[in-house]
Amino acid sequence: MMEKVGLWFEERMGWKPIWKALALRNIPKVNWAYTLGSATLLVMINQILTGILLTIYYVPSPQDAYSSVAFITNEITAGWLIRGLHHWGASAMVVLAGLHMIRVVVHGAYKFPREVTWFTGLGLLAVTLAFGFTGYLLPWDQKAYWATTVGTRMLEVTPVIGEWLLRFARGGEELSAVTLTRFYGMHIWVLPAILLVLVGIHMFLVVRIGISAPPKASTREEEPEEDAEVKA
Amino acid sequence: MAIMSRRKFLSRATTSIVGGIAALMGIPTIAYLVSPAKARGGLGVDAIPLGPTSKVPIGEPTLFKATIERKTGWVTQAEELAFYVNTEDGRNFTAMSNVCTHLGCRVRWVGDQEQFFCPCHNAAFARNGTVASGPPPRALDQYELSVEDGQLFVVGKIEA
Repeated sequence: MMEKVGLWFEERMGWKPIWKALALRNIPKVNWAYTLGSATLLVMINQILTGILLTIYYVPSPQDAYSSVAFITNEITAGWLIRGLHHWGASAMVVLAGLHMIRVVVHGAYKFPREVTWFTGLGLLAVTLAFGFTGYLLPWDQKAYWATTVGTRMLEVTPVIGEWLLRFARGGEELSAVTLTRFYGMHIWVLPAILLVLVGIHMFLVVRIGISAPPKASTREEEPEEDAEVKA
Repeated sequence: MAIMSRRKFLSRATTSIVGGIAALMGIPTIAYLVSPAKARGGLGVDAIPLGPTSKVPIGEPTLFKATIERKTGWVTQAEELAFYVNTEDGRNFTAMSNVCTHLGCRVRWVGDQEQFFCPCHNAAFARNGTVASGPPPRALDQYELSVEDGQLFVVGKIEA
């Protein structure tokens, strides 16, 4: 039955080669450290889904933010779970992205021809941190308020444009309703848009170029082995 | 029993795990979205004070207004409610909502026609709240009253 349905679609859409290229591609013999990127991707999907769900009840205004978050946590069925997944997922995503980067650095996987993958990866780490920073303010509790006060204050020490940067980040001199809405807009529209573009390029390159094999400890005699991999 | 190939086993295992995660996430998601729809009416308070029984002339439905604090989501708002109170003998009182059961407009007692009239779609209700003419699907909602020291209180809704 399922096979028939699959064939019906395959005849009209022809997506099998695309599926094969994406999911059934050949990869070198690797180890568990190579799952860190996929793990980050999975947590990202979790963040997107739970984030969308949170916007169903969350209101980004000083009057409502804290109480709407409390409402989600205490009164909506499974609200604690959805919020908890988003909260802990945020930390997990930063940690996993960091570990993924360390693996790439240690294995030298950023080298030719994978520099663009590496650059988009750096961008993704920056975006992930920006997500964390803007999301931290949204519950609008004391911890959020003061963390953002301190965090935005750091911008001020930037030479020449520091003061302007501070006012830009806060949308004024002090933390206010304007800060909350601009952090919210960043968090749910601007950053996700950048994230999806970067992830798209990153993933395309992973499929297109393929991933690098773990480097082998080579003796002096068989040194120029890396080139073989490039040609392949 | 035929031995499954390694590839097929891993493929099935992956599909099952992904399906499991999707179900694990899907069920709370539905519960989360449906959650606020479960809360149903009720008065929200124990008793709504209306006013003295002496204000109700015999045979003339009289409108009483009351303001209650109602919490919806995380916002508590003052909500104005109105009830028509009627008595035929000065001792037994009945109360009904002034909200038309058609689409929620407010009905008004028109004394010389002896009917409640809804301006939105020309509906009319009889003195006891039953539909006299027009589109409403059912009679006006009836409320339970209690009288203490000559004061009227709405204490609950009478389910039809």
